Amino acid sequence: MSAVTRRRAITALAAVAGIPLALLGRGDRAAPPLARWRGVALGARAEITLCHPDRTKARAALEACVDEIDRLDRVFSLYRAEGALVAFNRAGRLSKPPHDLIRLMAQARRFHGLGDGAFDVTVQPLWRLYADHFARPGADPRGPGARAIAMARARVDGGAIEISPRLLRFARPGMAVTLNGIAQGAITDAIADLLRDAGFDQALVGIGELRALGDRGEGPWRIGIDDPRHPGTTPTTLALVDAALATSGGYGTRFDARGRFHHLFDPASGVSPGTVLSASVVAPRATAADALATTLAVSDPARAAMLVDRFGASHAELKLADGRVVIVDAG
Amino acid sequence: MVVAIILLATLVAGAATAAVEADREAAFARVFPDADSFGAPEGTPPAATAYRDGQVVGYAFLTRDVVGSNGFSGKPLDIAIGLDLDGRITGAEIVEHHEPILVIGVTDADLAAFVAQYRGLDIRDRVSLEDEPGVRRIDAVSGATVSSVVMNDAVLRAARAVARSRGLLGDAAAALDLDSFAPASWDELLAEGALARLRLSNATVDAALARVGGGAYGPPGMTRDPAATFIDLYVGLATPAAIGRNLLGERLHERLMASIRPDDQLLFVAARGLFSFKGTAWRKSGIFERIEIIQGDRALAPVKDWYRPVARVVAEGAPELRTAAIFVVPAGSGFDPTRPWRLELLVPGESDQGVVYARFALPYRPPARLLAPAAETAPSPAPLWLGIWKRDAGRVAVVVVALMALTLILVFEDAIVRRRQVYYWVRYGFLAFTLLWLGWYAGAQLSLINVITFAQALLSGFRWDIFLVAPLIFVLWSYVALTLLFWGRGVFCGWLCPFGALQEIVNRLARLLRIPQISLPFVVHERLWMIKYVVFIGLFALAFGDYDRVQPLIEVEPFKTAIVLRFDRAWPFVAYALALLAVGLFIERAYCRYLCPLGAALAIPARLRMFEWLKRKWQCGSQCQICAKRCTVQAIHPDGHINPNECIHCLNCQVLYYDDRSCPPLIERRKRRERARRAMEAAS
Repeated sequence: MSAVTRRRAITALAAVAGIPLALLGRGDRAAPPLARWRGVALGARAEITLCHPDRTKARAALEACVDEIDRLDRVFSLYRAEGALVAFNRAGRLSKPPHDLIRLMAQARRFHGLGDGAFDVTVQPLWRLYADHFARPGADPRGPGARAIAMARARVDGGAIEISPRLLRFARPGMAVTLNGIAQGAITDAIADLLRDAGFDQALVGIGELRALGDRGEGPWRIGIDDPRHPGTTPTTLALVDAALATSGGYGTRFDARGRFHHLFDPASGVSPGTVLSASVVAPRATAADALATTLAVSDPARAAMLVDRFGASHAELKLADGRVVIVDAG
Repeated sequence: MVVAIILLATLVAGAATAAVEADREAAFARVFPDADSFGAPEGTPPAATAYRDGQVVGYAFLTRDVVGSNGFSGKPLDIAIGLDLDGRITGAEIVEHHEPILVIGVTDADLAAFVAQYRGLDIRDRVSLEDEPGVRRIDAVSGATVSSVVMNDAVLRAARAVARSRGLLGDAAAALDLDSFAPASWDELLAEGALARLRLSNATVDAALARVGGGAYGPPGMTRDPAATFIDLYVGLATPAAIGRNLLGERLHERLMASIRPDDQLLFVAARGLFSFKGTAWRKSGIFERIEIIQGDRALAPVKDWYRPVARVVAEGAPELRTAAIFVVPAGSGFDPTRPWRLELLVPGESDQGVVYARFALPYRPPARLLAPAAETAPSPAPLWLGIWKRDAGRVAVVVVALMALTLILVFEDAIVRRRQVYYWVRYGFLAFTLLWLGWYAGAQLSLINVITFAQALLSGFRWDIFLVAPLIFVLWSYVALTLLFWGRGVFCGWLCPFGALQEIVNRLARLLRIPQISLPFVVHERLWMIKYVVFIGLFALAFGDYDRVQPLIEVEPFKTAIVLRFDRAWPFVAYALALLAVGLFIERAYCRYLCPLGAALAIPARLRMFEWLKRKWQCGSQCQICAKRCTVQAIHPDGHINPNECIHCLNCQVLYYDDRSCPPLIERRKRRERARRAMEAAS
């Protein structure tokens, strides 16, 4: 029942969702017909576009996608009370975790290693600290004190989680996981895989991040990338064929008016980084692209080329606070 | 007389204009407000495609076009429905109806409010007019359960038919054929999709592990042929005999089927190759950690309790399998065997940063030939009324027993009326039953609307099931029709009418409180009788011209207010009913006497009766008016004869007939005897 009500909410939200994430050419009905679904997943706009001659089949597939999004959203969400991640965070352990959570936690652990700790799903205590701090009236605009940050940071350690199909367990008390830096990519991949397995080879899946299956019949899928200083405008466009694009930037969720504190944290310092405004990554799969984009957004831009190589990505663009743009293409 | 009325009414009906064909498009726009345009109705079943900004957003249709929804009267019942692509009803509105409303006083507004409840309904949900756990409740129109059942049926059948034909439901609205069986080989099962297969080579698995940063599966340094089989995995739904018996053999399949609960499902999983889908950890951990069953928005983790080993797969041509198992998926897990699902395989691989996992999915879709339309969506094989009778069996039994008791009372009325005390107990006991149980509890109040429905049915193709859908009303009317021949109208009016009983009881209380009774001069009284006949014939004739307009006029009968709704109604109705009862304080059964059109309808054939039950003496009327004075409805003429059109057969006059303390001729005879006895005593 909750799935149905949620789906209804998704449909309702879709009706007001304004700007499409992907800029698609208009008047392209002559090409293979498009079936499209728009909604919200993990709190972000979501859109799936299918090129398929059989609209009934496409619609049935989209329906299966909505079920799958809802299922995964429940596994990965920080807020849905019945969700697996919520249960894990609450108890500090979770026996017989869902496969999707095991796989993603294992991948996250690997990305934590690949990024030398810059990517860390256990930064949730820091997020809590900042959210609580700025939620108080008259909060100190300079952010929480150094002592509080140090205490929260002591509970951040992406390597300190036991992961097996039988059990997920934190090594230390007080730890908590947020998958917000990677779950959107994971759901995007899951939906793309589901569609590919169902025989759809031309689709654009955007569940927070983007993944293109094939092209759109008359050329590549064309994607616009938000300018972090002017959200909503899309100065850069990228062509995607059989690849994923993820973007990460502190402009998404800000704690304070000036945007000095936002939802991305450098696990090493416990504060929001200021050097990189946004990072966009093209990689074969959206999960890795998402994790790398998050990693790049909190890392030293000088390390970008090395990280792109380690994560197996093909392309990255960093927009820096000083106005510079760093572009890395994998050799 | 009846014939004349029917002929007259037929003429009126013929002259009346046919119901105006409703503007289809306008109705569609109201039931599908999100759409901005509609195509012409097309396809099988016919439905108009609804568009918004040129995109298909759903369908709009008339139930009559889809399921030929005639009302039970054989007359059109037409409801416009909008259905979006999610299988959700966007709105419903009655376009045309001539429902034979078997219970009094239901208005068009009540019916409109009823169908409005379907807005937002997911047609996959189970729907009931009664409270059932886990079922979407639709509230029946109070006092019109029959019409509600008919309309519910029309809405759901039409909406589901359109949804099925347009593929909006997938296979959800289907049931599984568990029983048919024909021998099939392993390859035939694979070919029809009864078994699904996933073959993974070592190379495929290693590539997938590499994508998540893992090395090859298994201990480092182990060399394997990249083209060799990592796992060759088969899954199938083994519950249907057509699949399960072919795979497992008759004995094992039947044994498994006998061991599970009715809605549990058997999933067959088998494999060969290097990798075992079972692993070994399940013996200790109780969970099969390498597989997950995913359907819709839920994932099921197979546990030890579900596991049944399969020693041998008997299907002809089956490959040599390393492992075969049945997993019993419990009904409570939410697994729906008619819908597609997939088995996901989790394969671990080592990476520099710990174990990573690759996933492989094996989708399964149950073969279409095993999916029969679900019983609830197919036109029900058993007639609707049968289910209603089964449900109401207890109430019907009570009514039948009561009617048998009433028959005994009437047949042996002589014996009862001779004993005044017995009579009062019987009389008020039965009236109390009629008012409390029949009326206020069961709502079984006959009404003129039944007469009108009956007459209309005679004209427009009579069908028993029109009347069978209301068991109590049916039983009561059958009994009233039969007893009309023997005793006249009085059996209903005097004994079985809850409002009549209410009036009589109220007046009895008034008398006990010494409220003065008004006795109208007989001439006036006699003239006032005519009112009810005028009301009856007026309503009856009008019903043939414009059935819908009669509906509010039927409110002349306070029955719905006072009995069916137990005075829980808008104040003008309550005031009217109370006013009638107030008049009844001074003139017993004033409503019955002068106004009741149903009484008039029954009075017309009352002269048909075969027997004369009520005894009179030659002195009645000429010498004595006591019975006439005491008659509950003043049906006794001053000349002493009882008017059968008015008599409600309360037996009051018969009590007096035998009462040697009330009836003057008897008093005289008694006194004579007493005098004689005294004389004899004195003489001796």
